[in-house]
Amino acid sequence: MKSKALVTGAALLALCATAFAPLCVQAKEYILTGVKPNRLVLIDPAKRAITRIYTIPGGGSPAGIVTSPDGKTAYVTTNHTGSLVGIDLDSGKEVFHADFSDGDFSDVSSGALRVRSFYGLEISPDGKELFVSESPVRLLRDEYKVEDTRIAVYRTDGGLAAEPVRLLPLPRRTTNIMMSTDGTKLYANSWDLYTLDPKDGKVLKVDKILNWDRKNFAPAGVFNVWNQFEQAHMFVTPYYTARTDPGSGNPPTPRTGLLTLDLKTGDIHMNEFEDFSAIMFSSVLSPVHRNEVYSTFKTLTKSDIEKNILIKRVTLPRPYYCINISADGREVYVAGAGNDIGVYSTGTLKRIGEIKMPGGADMAGAWIRMVERP
Amino acid sequence: MKFISWRIAAAAALMTAATIGRHAPALAGEPLGAKLLKETCARCHTASPSGGFERISEQRKTPEGWELTISRMERFEQVKLSAAQEASLVKWLADRQGLAPEEAAPFRYALERRAVVEAPDDADLAGMCASCHTYARIGLERRDKGEWLKLANMHLGQWPNIEYVATSRDREWWKLASTEIPAKLGAKWPLVTKVWTDWQTHQHVNLAGSWRVAGHRPGKGDYAGDLVVRSKGDDHYSIAYRITYADGTKLAGQGSAVVYTGFEWRGTVRLGREEMHEVYALSTDGNRLSGRWFLDGQDGIGGDMVAVRGANAIAGVEPPFIRLGKPSRITVIGSGLNGTVNLGSGIAVEKVLSATPGAVTVLAAAAKDAPLGARMVAVGKAESANALVVYDKVSAVKVEPEIAVARMGGNGGPIAPALSQFEAIAYTKAADGAPLRIGPMPAKWLVANFDETAARDGDAKFGGHIAPSGLFTPGPAGPNPKRNGYDNAANLSVKATVADAGTMVEGAAHVYVAPQRWVDAPIR
Repeated sequence: MKSKALVTGAALLALCATAFAPLCVQAKEYILTGVKPNRLVLIDPAKRAITRIYTIPGGGSPAGIVTSPDGKTAYVTTNHTGSLVGIDLDSGKEVFHADFSDGDFSDVSSGALRVRSFYGLEISPDGKELFVSESPVRLLRDEYKVEDTRIAVYRTDGGLAAEPVRLLPLPRRTTNIMMSTDGTKLYANSWDLYTLDPKDGKVLKVDKILNWDRKNFAPAGVFNVWNQFEQAHMFVTPYYTARTDPGSGNPPTPRTGLLTLDLKTGDIHMNEFEDFSAIMFSSVLSPVHRNEVYSTFKTLTKSDIEKNILIKRVTLPRPYYCINISADGREVYVAGAGNDIGVYSTGTLKRIGEIKMPGGADMAGAWIRMVERP
Repeated sequence: MKFISWRIAAAAALMTAATIGRHAPALAGEPLGAKLLKETCARCHTASPSGGFERISEQRKTPEGWELTISRMERFEQVKLSAAQEASLVKWLADRQGLAPEEAAPFRYALERRAVVEAPDDADLAGMCASCHTYARIGLERRDKGEWLKLANMHLGQWPNIEYVATSRDREWWKLASTEIPAKLGAKWPLVTKVWTDWQTHQHVNLAGSWRVAGHRPGKGDYAGDLVVRSKGDDHYSIAYRITYADGTKLAGQGSAVVYTGFEWRGTVRLGREEMHEVYALSTDGNRLSGRWFLDGQDGIGGDMVAVRGANAIAGVEPPFIRLGKPSRITVIGSGLNGTVNLGSGIAVEKVLSATPGAVTVLAAAAKDAPLGARMVAVGKAESANALVVYDKVSAVKVEPEIAVARMGGNGGPIAPALSQFEAIAYTKAADGAPLRIGPMPAKWLVANFDETAARDGDAKFGGHIAPSGLFTPGPAGPNPKRNGYDNAANLSVKATVADAGTMVEGAAHVYVAPQRWVDAPIR
């Protein structure tokens, strides 16, 4: 492991020495998360300190967060899942705003469309388009009419009254939507994992999860609402199943596994690594040791996706929903569901620091993203 | 938010009873309920071909069901109504589009706020509907398939995260909710039924007069007394109680009640220092009320009650059991009681200690060979089946409720803890060996960890405590620094020990200490 890290470090150094030198020298790693009420918090993890707090106009609190490739703009779903707001992280100003709903809500006869977004938010690698999952309902005079779920695509230069440039069909109950690193595919995490064409939403491939037909295994359950794959470009999520073959126990032995989706290659793997022994909400892959996955909820779990084994598990002082990792793979940051970010050594799983949110503010379900900024 | 409910409605309606309803002088010649439907509801609900209003006329439900609907209109659609207006709308709608007594009967426990474990008779409907609220809530509504489908659309439209929650995300929730389920609901609980058609011809009974009451409050004991009902018109009443508990406690108080749909009594009364809400059903002949009352804001604490009026009516027998061989005082509470007390074969009435038309107290002794089990009690022509249980010894104890949910609260937060009242119920073995319920008996109480996980987490230490009366008070709300920041949620056993002629008999119940109920509804 150690030698591998050194090699990677050397490779990075080599890159910095050549074409990307200016970027490497100036870029600095930050944590970006959200707190109630409706604020973004930019954190310098090296200093274990808050760099800046941004107040988002309007009501609600941050949920999904994506950043532009240049690290200058953050786009946040907020306003009680009703709006997407872009904040310039240099000026603190609102530079993008889209309200998902459409119509005249003061007129009961107008058939206005009320739209909420649950969990799905992604930005294209070129920073030009935003993808938002939407659950619409038509408000008729004396009844509601549920409409099909969809992805609304916005241009990042859409301004403060942005309208979607296209609407793509989306399977119901989709949580994460993720884009391949080359921007040619969208992935939707629903009962199964859908590969979609970002141009028209056409279903290119379905990888079965809940509907898998794996002999002697119960349907696999996946529920994950946090995008936190920017360091390793690998979406990783826990899933839960059970052995159902005779002799596996009664009740059937529950099993925990990890699903990986390589956003560069599209490769998808699902492998169990233990009999169920801890609930894990979300996971992150180390960008350096690409076999090591860290998962969080009431415990911090380190597991190996090559050997499919549990390496180590420690109890966390409180539940944390989401997790991210430093670019050098040395520390992970557990966040959400409370008012502090816990910093843990990936080597020892010891708590080596923490960052308190301003005034004890609650991160609730807000994502934790790593952003490189000049 | 706290629902304004029929409890306030009863009070508000009392104040305005002279101006509302079918029998009262109407505003501008028209009942207020009808006027509100036309002027407020019709802003969105168009007139339907049948002469009613779209959506509204396509549903039937309990007073609580209509209260929930009106509350939703206020919260979702910004409808503005005063408490009196709400009350008159609930009354108007429940009277005309309610449930027949037979339709409400299987689900009265939800209206009465009893702690029961439901037994749904349809797994598909239970999986779809009862994973979030009670099966009773659905079973207390009547709609046709198309209207059930509109209800499904409202659900996902109003709470778009429904299809993501743990109890629905493993299925194609919306596909089921918009196809199979409305069809099934429409077939099972349709708008038009014979019992409802028949019930609509039933004449509302005037309940004014004197009633005798008998009942039991877990943790406190049996009680009996008088209820005086005075009519205020249009099914609205003022009520006054004088009751005495078996331990000698005397209470008196007053309140008000409204009878909906010809049989759904909803009262609010202050007795001593407590305010309580009554959910009773009126018998078809109009001479017997029965149900449960519970404390305002603490529906885990309450009691059963039966009220009767007229001649030869028994409200209760206290205590409702007698041990072989041991002479005991037995009181029959009723109305118009007249004649000899007959406690059945093998039980000798040794002495009549007191006898009035409202209560007869006797000293009775059960012979050693008296048949075990429940039997009829009679006073002259008045009869009450299964009113007295004969037993030889306590062979088992069950704690009721068998499974309860108490809720953390207080500790500076806006929601009070929700307490649970437990009671030890003695059982004996019937002649065929089957368990036979005797009745409530005094017990010693303790709280213990339910399982190994609870023991590891120290649940019994943090989850709450139980009083000698069997009243369980859950721990305070919020993060507990002594529990690593977790709250006082707990999984506990509540254990009762009953002493029966020197023998200790134990029983246990299961109580979950859960978070606060942040959103409540008239039917949960």
